[in-house]
Amino acid sequence: MKDNPNTVSFTLNGELKTFAAGPDEKLLALLRREGYRGSKFGCGQGTCGACTVIMDGRAVYACLLYAMQAEGRSLRTIESAGTFEEPAEFQKELISAGAVQCGYCIPGMVMSATALMETETVFEDEIVREYMDGNLCRCTGYEKIWIALRKVLDRREAAGKTSAKGGKK
Amino acid sequence: MKLCAFIRPTSLSDAREVLRELGPKGMPLAGGTALHFMPTKTPVTAVDITRLGLSYIRQEGNFFNIGAATPISDIQRYRGPRWAMHEICRRISTHQIRNISTIGGNICRVFPWADLPVVLLAMDARMTINSGTETEVPADEYFAAQPAKRFSGGNLLTAVKVPVLEAHHGFGSVKATRNAAAFSLVTVAALLELKDGHIKSARVAAGSAIPFPHRLPSVEAALAGREAVTAVFKEAAAKASADARWCAREGMSADYIKQLAEVSLLDALEKAAAFAKGRTE
Repeated sequence: MKDNPNTVSFTLNGELKTFAAGPDEKLLALLRREGYRGSKFGCGQGTCGACTVIMDGRAVYACLLYAMQAEGRSLRTIESAGTFEEPAEFQKELISAGAVQCGYCIPGMVMSATALMETETVFEDEIVREYMDGNLCRCTGYEKIWIALRKVLDRREAAGKTSAKGGKK
Repeated sequence: MKLCAFIRPTSLSDAREVLRELGPKGMPLAGGTALHFMPTKTPVTAVDITRLGLSYIRQEGNFFNIGAATPISDIQRYRGPRWAMHEICRRISTHQIRNISTIGGNICRVFPWADLPVVLLAMDARMTINSGTETEVPADEYFAAQPAKRFSGGNLLTAVKVPVLEAHHGFGSVKATRNAAAFSLVTVAALLELKDGHIKSARVAAGSAIPFPHRLPSVEAALAGREAVTAVFKEAAAKASADARWCAREGMSADYIKQLAEVSLLDALEKAAAFAKGRTE
């Protein structure tokens, strides 16, 4: 049994890291103090989704996890998704659609969409809504974000169908 | 809830031992999403129970055995014969919470808005509690009072056993909310056993708009032996107030909640009857 550790180790964006952490510290607080500031503090109570990160392949709220809960897990933050010079596919579409107004919700939106794209192969609207239902936007509205996401998902579905047809030949 | 220490036991017996030693100063932590909102005068030691092999769903004989630390999203995605738990799990909070929050956390300490106690009462589920030996507690007994008091002295909920529905059984649940991710205004669930188009037996439960989830015996009595048709469901749903003192919720008056509960009950009964008549998988 690990008795009251004062460090936590987990894989962060592909690198194994160890951080000093107190038992009461939230994962979001740890990430932000260690420089991973793309994950935002919004509501701090598991409602808005601005702090969404991916833990072991699943989208989770970093504000509702104690840092110690991440021990041994694999975490990804928005810093793993794309860069200013080379944004990820969904990030490009968000920009094209004019979906980024204040931008505060966008890191969380991108992480939830990443979990969706990595887990599912069929992107029916109901499935997409289920993955995105924990992310709020309070300035752009959802229409442009939805249009951007739908473009990416439609492309992926079409590519999936093409490769499936290719496989049958 | 403020934490003063965090312990990660590696076996169920270790977890029980440390919780027994800590007494009220210890708190089992699975998803931990509710801990952030629980006020405490003094900090507690969190005992992480997510690494004890308690996350699984297995069909064993006439039951689906669900490990207590199984996330809600796993239950939502699972599919088994005549599986009925996914609908209510899809309606619990948001995607991110469902990925972390567990079935055990939802029912070890029952909050007024919890949905799973209502469903498990209607389903006649059984809770497995490990107190050195394993004991199965039927839902009626488990939810007769706040279950949290059962978990003093290192006792841990290890599994929830949900019956596999038989061909003539049907289940329906309805959660009424102001928006998709909001806490429940009222949650209702119904299990119907049909024979030749008539209701042989019924288990109906409600929660969230009442102080503590419980069954609705007047509704059940109004269904027993009757034909499984809308008129009977409406008549039975109208009896719910005999068993429940509806509370005002989120700006809605108690009278509004009463009407909402009756409409929700009608929907749940219709769903259950359709399930019993039509769903064969």
